[in-house]
Amino acid sequence: MRDRTLQYVLLIPAFLIVLATTLYPLGFSLATAFLDWDLRKSPRPGEFVGLDNFGHAVTESGFQNSLWVTTIFVVISVVLTVVLAMALALLLRRTGGLHTFTRIILILPFAMSPALIGVSYRFMFNPEFGVLAKGAAAIFPALEGTPWLANPDLAMGILIATDVWHWTPYMTFMCLGGLASVPRETEEAARMDGASTLRIIWEIVLPQMKGVIAVAAVLKTIFALKMFDQVVTLTGGGPGSSTETLAFFIHKVGFKWFDMGYASALAWILTIIMMAISIWYVRLIITDKKMATA
Amino acid sequence: MFKRTLVAFAATLMASSALAWEATPGKPHDGKTVRVLAVKSSQFEAHEARHEAFEEATGIDVVVDYVPFPNMKEALTAEMIGGGDYDVVSIMDQWVMSLANLVQPIDEQIAAQGTDLSDFPGAHMRHGMIDGKLVGLPVRGHVQLLFYRNDLLEEAGVEPPQTWEDVVTASKMIKEKTGKAGIALPYGKLNGQNLMVWVNLLWGNGGELFDADGQPAFASEAGAAATKQYIDMLLEHEIAPAGSAVFVEQDAVNSFKQGNSAMLPLWWWVRSQLTDPEQSTVKPEQLSFTSLPSVGDAGKTTFTNTWIFGVTQGSSDVDAATEYLGWLTDPALERDVLLDEELSEVVAVHFSNLRDAEVNARWGGMHQSAADALATAPGIEFGDDWPRVAEIMETAISSLASEEETDVMAALQKAADEIASIR
Repeated sequence: MRDRTLQYVLLIPAFLIVLATTLYPLGFSLATAFLDWDLRKSPRPGEFVGLDNFGHAVTESGFQNSLWVTTIFVVISVVLTVVLAMALALLLRRTGGLHTFTRIILILPFAMSPALIGVSYRFMFNPEFGVLAKGAAAIFPALEGTPWLANPDLAMGILIATDVWHWTPYMTFMCLGGLASVPRETEEAARMDGASTLRIIWEIVLPQMKGVIAVAAVLKTIFALKMFDQVVTLTGGGPGSSTETLAFFIHKVGFKWFDMGYASALAWILTIIMMAISIWYVRLIITDKKMATA
Repeated sequence: MFKRTLVAFAATLMASSALAWEATPGKPHDGKTVRVLAVKSSQFEAHEARHEAFEEATGIDVVVDYVPFPNMKEALTAEMIGGGDYDVVSIMDQWVMSLANLVQPIDEQIAAQGTDLSDFPGAHMRHGMIDGKLVGLPVRGHVQLLFYRNDLLEEAGVEPPQTWEDVVTASKMIKEKTGKAGIALPYGKLNGQNLMVWVNLLWGNGGELFDADGQPAFASEAGAAATKQYIDMLLEHEIAPAGSAVFVEQDAVNSFKQGNSAMLPLWWWVRSQLTDPEQSTVKPEQLSFTSLPSVGDAGKTTFTNTWIFGVTQGSSDVDAATEYLGWLTDPALERDVLLDEELSEVVAVHFSNLRDAEVNARWGGMHQSAADALATAPGIEFGDDWPRVAEIMETAISSLASEEETDVMAALQKAADEIASIR
């Protein structure tokens, strides 16, 4: 009993930190989402407006655009990241010096700050002196002087590419972990029966990796939904509003428009989406564990 | 020996006359601390290096926290909501109205100090006023100039352009003769930077951003002509560097520094950067400047940028804070920094310094050009919704530059409608 009390006492500092840094801001922003709080008029929240801030989101074009942009971004970046990560994991599952070395350097992109990635890629795609822009022009001379980030589709493509480049290593390690639990005997038996590598991957490896892939995809979806840093440093949300993700738009509403009530409502819409996916994620893990122990 | 003594005496005399500011007699604020939140800037660091004189004269201790520009507005917003951490804050002109609840009127204190407000150009001074009350004094202010590579213009056989039409003609010659882009311009989105060049074309074409009722007035023939003129430099005449459609100010600066562009319309404070051997290929003897081009025969214009310093509503000692403001805005302090040979600070917000012979001798007449531009600069009345207004307009310009939108009038009308809906 005394031990149990001590356990709770020891938890208090951690609980207080979570309370101050997570629960209080969450609660405060939830309350703000139902208030009229225009920072230009007052540094304190104003009157209760019910669901007005949420209702405004339904008709407001900026939010609708950012929701569409975010959807496109999330779908493409998640699919590409997971497919690429799985492919890399299959290539790197073998043992050997080169494979180990490759695995070590593979983590480097993930170790980079997202903001720095945005700045770097902005430089690298500068048509005047960017190494990637110049490299592409060296291979395909017709691309010389292409204003890569000035085209809405190309800008979105580059934004997605930076995100895939950033997250693929981490997802590759997740897949490598999953592959380690796939029994080699099954594969060897299939190979002895004359099955091709592709067929082994498709019919033996991937079905057993379903749980890991699902978890990786859900996790990546949550991260992709929060895309902010690279948008700020790579495209600034442009050209026009073509790369304004939801997180970027919320920041704009809060800190440029100073409409804290509306920004809080939008933040909660994003939070609810992420909470729903998180709940699905936790269920997936539990199901995956049950499947593993069954 | 006599000569050296004479020089030393003259220097002392000059220094003492330069430091004209006088502390309140009796050091009434002795032992107090003034906490300052300032944007990171070498000019403010130069002020800080001179704090000792102020602290000795008043007994007030000054503590400055610097915040990089990209985070400054968030820091000021946090101070406005949280309050109480700072006595004096620096605020960019475009944010003043939306941060009205951060600062407080200081008319009486500044009047008591005998500060000559007429020495500040109206284009700067107006941003220190809210509803007729003085809430801050200009300390940092910028005008736009046209920087150019005199060697490239000479090679192309063209004179420094005086109109935007000249810019196009000269740029085509420069491209033909040197292979360089004529002019580096910002068309991308960041803090309304594209808008700051475009608005000069709007004024030059006889247009205005807003009418007398504060409603958008730029979706007009003049607005369309100005916008077409600006966009055409990129798409039709192709005189701006490749990729300019997403260039923000720093990209345009980089293009110039890399030697890829021959001209650059920009704030005067960037001058020292443009020939800094550590970051630029441009040599000092290659760099010249002139006032921003006009549209045809229309008068010269410039967008201005001003940083005011105000006293916060949460300040624990308004009198000590305004005493510091009095010292900080003393023209003698500004002159001292401008003439410091160890510094490359060009920024001045006092007519007395802008027209000072010695200052102009050191900076090649740049300050007189600025004074001339400031004397007639129309300026913009930034409302509390300006950050949002600027964002709407810069998005419209960015969309046209990237050809996401192709109908100039439709894009302007869409922006005007959006702005009207929030006013």
